[in-house]
Amino acid sequence: METRPPQLSLDELQLVRWLLGGLLMALSVATVFYLDINSEAMAAVALLGVLVALANPRLPARVHHWVHRLAFPAIVAFFVLDLRFTGQLLPAIVRLDLMLLLYRGISYRARRDDLQIVVLGLFLIVVAGVLTVSLLFAAQILVFTACALCLLMVVTIADSGEGGMSPKLAVRGVVPPWAAHAEWRRLLRRLWEVSDWRLLASAAGLFVGVVVVSGLLFLAIPRFQLENSLFLERFVTRKAMTGFNDSIKFGDITEITQDDSVAFNVDLSDPAQAPAQPYWRMVVLDEYKNGGFKLSAALRSELGREHTSANIQSGVNTGRGAPTWTFYVETGVSRYLPILGRFETLRFREAQNYRFSRDLSIVALRDEPASMTAYRVEGMQADSSSLRDPFFAARWRSRGPVGPPLQLGLQLSDPDKAVLARLDSEIGPTVGAKEFAAKAIDWLRAKHRYSLSPHFPDGAGDPLVRWMASSEPGHCELFAGALVLLARSEGIPARVVTGFKGGTWNAYSGNYTIRNSDAHAWAEVWDAPSASWLREDPLAVAAASAAKEKGDAAIAGLMDRSWSARLNSLRVFWYRRIVNFDQQSQAETLNAVKEATGSSGKWLRSAIADALARAKVWARGPWDGPRIAEVGAVLVLVGLVSRLLATGRWRLVTFGARGKGDPIRREAGRWLQRIDGPRALRADLERIRFGPAPSWPRPTDVFGRARRAAASSRRPARASSQSTS
Amino acid sequence: MNPVPGKRPRHLWRRMLWGLVWPRRFERTQPTISGVVLIGLSMGIGTAAYNSASNILFIALALLLACLILSGVLAWLNLRGLAWQLEVQPPLRAGQPAEVSLELSNGKKFLPTYALWFEFAAAPRDRLGPGRPESTITAKGIDVWAALKKAESEQLRGTVHLRTRLDPGARTRLDWMFTPAKRGRVRVELRGVGSLFPFGFLRKLTGTDLSREVPVWPAPVEYRRLAGATPRRPQGELRNASVGHEGEMIALRSYESGDSHRLIHWKASARKRRLLIRQFSSQNSDACSIWVRTDQGLWGSPEQFETMVSLAATLAQDLFRAGRLQSTAIDAGQPVATKRLADLESFLDRLSEIERAEGGAVPGQARPRMNVMVFEPEGSRGVAAYVNGNKTAAT
Repeated sequence: METRPPQLSLDELQLVRWLLGGLLMALSVATVFYLDINSEAMAAVALLGVLVALANPRLPARVHHWVHRLAFPAIVAFFVLDLRFTGQLLPAIVRLDLMLLLYRGISYRARRDDLQIVVLGLFLIVVAGVLTVSLLFAAQILVFTACALCLLMVVTIADSGEGGMSPKLAVRGVVPPWAAHAEWRRLLRRLWEVSDWRLLASAAGLFVGVVVVSGLLFLAIPRFQLENSLFLERFVTRKAMTGFNDSIKFGDITEITQDDSVAFNVDLSDPAQAPAQPYWRMVVLDEYKNGGFKLSAALRSELGREHTSANIQSGVNTGRGAPTWTFYVETGVSRYLPILGRFETLRFREAQNYRFSRDLSIVALRDEPASMTAYRVEGMQADSSSLRDPFFAARWRSRGPVGPPLQLGLQLSDPDKAVLARLDSEIGPTVGAKEFAAKAIDWLRAKHRYSLSPHFPDGAGDPLVRWMASSEPGHCELFAGALVLLARSEGIPARVVTGFKGGTWNAYSGNYTIRNSDAHAWAEVWDAPSASWLREDPLAVAAASAAKEKGDAAIAGLMDRSWSARLNSLRVFWYRRIVNFDQQSQAETLNAVKEATGSSGKWLRSAIADALARAKVWARGPWDGPRIAEVGAVLVLVGLVSRLLATGRWRLVTFGARGKGDPIRREAGRWLQRIDGPRALRADLERIRFGPAPSWPRPTDVFGRARRAAASSRRPARASSQSTS
Repeated sequence: MNPVPGKRPRHLWRRMLWGLVWPRRFERTQPTISGVVLIGLSMGIGTAAYNSASNILFIALALLLACLILSGVLAWLNLRGLAWQLEVQPPLRAGQPAEVSLELSNGKKFLPTYALWFEFAAAPRDRLGPGRPESTITAKGIDVWAALKKAESEQLRGTVHLRTRLDPGARTRLDWMFTPAKRGRVRVELRGVGSLFPFGFLRKLTGTDLSREVPVWPAPVEYRRLAGATPRRPQGELRNASVGHEGEMIALRSYESGDSHRLIHWKASARKRRLLIRQFSSQNSDACSIWVRTDQGLWGSPEQFETMVSLAATLAQDLFRAGRLQSTAIDAGQPVATKRLADLESFLDRLSEIERAEGGAVPGQARPRMNVMVFEPEGSRGVAAYVNGNKTAAT
């Protein structure tokens, strides 16, 4: 009797198809939750509907036929109204996609419907990937591809009986046979029975092959730059964190520091020039009013008109040897890009709409980036402790009694101004901005402690002035703001700068990682003799010498070897090698491959030459007994292996894996372990367990005999135990 | 994929490359709706990727292309190691269902084969033999169209699906039933092996050269048996139809090809210096021979001729079954003794291919001998069989 390996029935295949389709929909609907397009509620409903229908395949038969009739017109009407009232195309399309997926999830599907699921799901995942540029996309698209391929394969196999045509769908309201008897536990058991480790290993190998081939294709697909590129991000509007906007209220920056997620990563072409305590400047705020700083209209005008290009040439020549900095700024940080100071060139991956001020060293994008923003800065001054500003210097020299505000304005009441003057007098007489800033900082630090939860004393007048007059602790914004007011009261132009301070050095990927918890605010005061803005951070505790450290010494103090750094290194790899891969990277990769091929060829040639030389030396040696025995043993071994390979006998070493998967053989094995029955019965069981299938007796008869033998052996034992009791 | 198990086709790569330029007969690869969607999707994503320079889209594009490559690899693996053999179960008879079997075996070591279909075709061979060669370029389009349509209409086609998984090392048998319309030789061929596996993007049909040419015997006809038309006693020239030889020996006759050696009378043969065969009374009581004449002068109507051939075949079988068929002859051919089943089958094979002979009378057929069944038209459609001038059967 010949046994056939178990196979899934057509009903079981249809159930697997239903399962895979449901998983695919759930996976793609889940992407909407991190898309930030105000569709979370709809995604939750769709996900719930899909999962409920997935768990209970009988449910779609209960959906009223009017739902099927009205579904399509209703979905189209909803889409039109959504587009009309929200005016946002991409979110409307995503919501349309969700509704279609929900409808497909709660109705029985034919072949074309399964295909529709794949296309709709792929759309959601790709859109989410493009908008977020997240590492999660890589994992998600891989799982999605595996599920989609499995689904398509199951559909092809299930429909093969009909010549590739999908069988007719069940009549609406009628539960199809495969769904009527659906039982997930039984299906899992059946899947376990029919699974073959060799097939699974082959499938896994093929999938790895797909990933490798797609990686190679990704590297090899020719790239060329199109100037008028399509911005998918344009179809989505986002909000940045409030702290890095052109106006802040006290506490905004501190709120950002509560978040420990990564704000941006920075690659440095020459780590030897890595500063120990970089200040990543983003926004300059010069106008103070009612407890908040903002970018004044005058300063905003310095940003100039809007440009659209992929490169910013600042016209500053910082000299040769400056490293290249590559920034990967996460979504939602700000439309103001973090930079250290003056630079020669800033290059985006694609054309951007931006405003740029060389004197302020500020780059502002028109819109909040909807995805990770990557840019490369060449010739950047890493030390921004002083920022030369010839334009402001000229204005400062030619200032008149009444002129444009020169970052000196104090929109305070007279009593507040009087309080400021009194506080200035407490600082004492100073000469020049540098000395004033140093003394003012000492005064502030002596009077106030640092705290993330400050308290403003009650009373009338400006809150910042009240805080300055008190001895309440404060955060960086209060310290920076106080320094600015004190300086302006003394007649020294000053402003608040927001951005990030410091960061860590990822030991695994070798880059700066700046987290939101590194958000900071500091002050810049005008130093007329040097015609530059001096960075004055009232909360800087490190010694000046430590701050000027560079390279290994600086990196050593920032080194991060934590698990989060390990995970973040993956994200950096994703940004460096995948997201930021462009024409130049492609050329570099090709060159690297070429060089690697050339060098490995050279290495191989030299290795062969060395091996030949050693073989010659070895052959010239004395041929004594042990050597001849060694050579003989090696030859015999080679001969044996060749023979095994040639005759296919190597299969002997698979330890009979062929019989392991057979449930009948396994059953016979279990009976052999369980009973010590008659010899003839054991012989039959051993034949089924180990013998060739054609020689088997009828297994059901043999197992029945074994069952009876086991029962009869239990009966006397029970009887004897009763008699002894 | 290999029709002969264990034999690797020669110049495989050369044939594959050449196949791209000049595909083999019935070799087709067409995108399905899924395939068209995939191609459209790839083009859309590719366009968007170049437009936005988004590497996310390039990744999606690369994955789609890799899936297409995987699809090709899996399709190749699915057909690899597969062997098939075509078997046609004779006899085939016009108007009656015939069975064509395909023995399928999966020679792969651990990969099963899924979701295949097999396209069969059965086309009658031209009984008139090769005609005048004509070119489709010089011929009139309408004629070519008509010829192709005729050939198409005469061809019977069928598709059989492999509905279950074919495990590694396993064999299975697929059957295709068809009903040949008319007698003659029919060429049964496996036109191609189709597959949508693995993802249903492409409908691939691989052409095969597997075919069998088998005769289709004439269709059986219903006829009226007429009483009182029994054959006369023999005059020594009849031959035995069965191996049994009950009854007394009544005569000796010369040996003829096909006679059983057990019937040779060795003593008489030695005396006469030629082989002599014993004849028994039971053998020849009501036996007869069948003589089929094909001259066009006799059979003016092709339909009547076909009826005659069918009647001859039916009567030959009935007589053989009753042990009353002695020999068969067609036109001027030598009579062939019909002792074994193979003799009858040989006669039916010949009947399956005969055509009306040109001209009037065929030489040597002027006068039928005793106990020989001949056929003549009856009315405008009917055919009658005569033995010794008596009508014995009619359609």
